[in-house]
Amino acid sequence: MTMTKSPIITPQAAIRVRGLSKFFGPIDEGAIARTGPEFGTARDPLSGSIVAAWDVNFDVAAGEALGIVGESGSGKSTVLRCIAGDQPSSAGSVHLMCHDEGRTNVLDLSPAARRKLRIDQLSVVYQDPAEGLSLGVTAGGNIADPLTAAGWRNFEAIRVRARDLLDRTEVPLDRMDDIVRNFSGGMRQRVQIARALANNPPIVLLDEPTTGLDASIASGVLDLIRGLLEELDLAVVVVSHDFGVIEMLTQRCIVMQHGRVVEDALTDQLLEDPQHPYSQKLVTAARS
Amino acid sequence: MNSPLINVCDVSKTFVLHNIDGREVTALQNVSFSIAPGEHVALAGSSGAGKSTLLRLLYRTYTLTSGEINFCLSSGDWVDLGKLTDPEVVALRGREIGYVSQFLRAQPRRAVIDLVTRAGVSRGMTRNDAREQAAISLRRLNIAESLWEIHTSVLSGGEKQRVNIAAGLISPPRLLLLDEPVSALDPENRERAIDLISQLSEAGVAVLAVFHDLDAIARLATRIVVMSHGHLIDDGPVHSILPQLEPTDVHP
Repeated sequence: MTMTKSPIITPQAAIRVRGLSKFFGPIDEGAIARTGPEFGTARDPLSGSIVAAWDVNFDVAAGEALGIVGESGSGKSTVLRCIAGDQPSSAGSVHLMCHDEGRTNVLDLSPAARRKLRIDQLSVVYQDPAEGLSLGVTAGGNIADPLTAAGWRNFEAIRVRARDLLDRTEVPLDRMDDIVRNFSGGMRQRVQIARALANNPPIVLLDEPTTGLDASIASGVLDLIRGLLEELDLAVVVVSHDFGVIEMLTQRCIVMQHGRVVEDALTDQLLEDPQHPYSQKLVTAARS
Repeated sequence: MNSPLINVCDVSKTFVLHNIDGREVTALQNVSFSIAPGEHVALAGSSGAGKSTLLRLLYRTYTLTSGEINFCLSSGDWVDLGKLTDPEVVALRGREIGYVSQFLRAQPRRAVIDLVTRAGVSRGMTRNDAREQAAISLRRLNIAESLWEIHTSVLSGGEKQRVNIAAGLISPPRLLLLDEPVSALDPENRERAIDLISQLSEAGVAVLAVFHDLDAIARLATRIVVMSHGHLIDDGPVHSILPQLEPTDVHP
């Protein structure tokens, strides 16, 4: 019996990543063959070039979160930054359903066009709020930023929207006109999430969103993200080395080591029955 | 008998422990059986017999080493669960295949009623219908209305387990896998939970369950599959198998 078309209907991809790769330094086929998990390094011993990410493929649907796990230096944040446009990629394609109905490889867009995507199509929440926020500006001002970039001009409307978002992300409204630098870590992260959601982007990328926060604060931020994910039907990619975060937010994930994807799995399967030696090591370490 | 909903054919599961010298641990060997809609199959066997492994294989929490798990979709098409892509498994879970574990999984700040309602919505109910059904289930499971708006994290173990049952059984999927769903309940609440679970068969749901006591099996099962050391050693109607079982045969 040959299977033709699957009888199971899966949702359309909101993000489609194919062959995404990132190199530092000149790379030839030999460098690819001399790096990766089998060699225990992402650095080519001959040229010294680094294969930070090689041939990364995944789809994420609206309402779905995909996790990227791995140790520091495995290439997981590199992948996220290439998709976001924070870093130029070396090869591959990223198609977003919200941009030109997925016909354009957004990696081919001009820097200006890529920045435009970040206004209302794709947002990033960084581990360090200083990357996603202007710390010297008020919480309200930080949210007004992307709104004015999207063409909002009415001051009162912007205030109302900012209040809405801060309310939703559980930032006390009486702090709206305080400088963000004076906020606690957890509160800054909530403001960063509010700002990321300002223009209702269909895609949100999260880079270690709770790393560095106290456990109790982190769980509050996680709850918030999980709730928003379900309510807003977002397509989310979350990078984390913390399996607690991955388990709470995602149903599927990929595991990276030395710039390569070594396993893609259902999240519960990764935690209960990891296949790759590296995944087994990671899960065992996280459980002990 | 009805035509089966799921055919488990010659299924084996071996874990390869790469970081312990590549040691191989075989948890299931050449297991075959099927379940029809409305059947309630209880898995019996002592600790380590492979009961939970089987449940997890069917839910695809474990990957299949060999064999086939053919499942009949509501569309009438057959699929081999072992060969589905991960997104296909995600699409199947909830509506077609459900898993009720012993413990409520972490969702610390969600209100009880909200958690059960969302489970119904995720299986295609309207919000209002799901809310109404959630209220009915919670009442039947003796969860006081004063707890409904409280976060699940502050509930007792028994309350959490009942909320978990309510969420797992609302608008039930066509195949439900139960992993010791009533293990933490006192006698009265256990009665209520068993009563609710027994209705699944009337609703045509196929159930595969692991219980920690013979009484639950006697009350709920239509058939018993007996496992030992990863093998299926017996499969038959309750009245013929139950008398041969010892309490140790259902120990988790």
